[in-house]
Amino acid sequence: MIYNVYNRDLSVGDIKITAVASSAIFLIGDAETIQLASTFDTPPESLIIGPFVPLAPEA
Amino acid sequence: MLQRTTSVTELEVNSVAIASVLHIGDSKIIHGDSRALAVQRQAEIFYGNEGHFNFPIFTEPVPLPPIEEDVQMFRQNYNPVIKIRKVDIIGISSSAVVQLGNTGHITMLNRTKHIRQLLENLH
Repeated sequence: MIYNVYNRDLSVGDIKITAVASSAIFLIGDAETIQLASTFDTPPESLIIGPFVPLAPEA
Repeated sequence: MLQRTTSVTELEVNSVAIASVLHIGDSKIIHGDSRALAVQRQAEIFYGNEGHFNFPIFTEPVPLPPIEEDVQMFRQNYNPVIKIRKVDIIGISSSAVVQLGNTGHITMLNRTKHIRQLLENLH
């Protein structure tokens, strides 16, 4: 596949961002390749209802 | 071939925390890896030495799809300047990167384990 890009005027006024977090990228410029991956896990046993038991510390 | 230039008149960042980078200028490779144990608790109790990272989510492989598309890109930068008047960011955190400029390859990974601790019905 041939992909032709013609970059002409690119002008932005104000950019307001609350947060860039957790291996996120905010790039103003060019990049060749960008690969972002995120995995999260909230299994049923992660929902604990009842008296507080502190999480097990580092083994 | 003329590389593009980023021009930001005003940059305001409130905080750069926890292995994060505010990069002004070019770079070649950016790599970030962050792991989080996100505990939401219905009472304000914090012991300080809680939690560990031995959950499978922190060790299981995360398959990043290889880039093998056969794409030939040809670029003409008739106006090689990216003009931004103002950038206002409150927080950059947890292996995050903000860059004003060009780069090559970026690979970033985040792993988060969520835990919810709720009190029994209060009434």
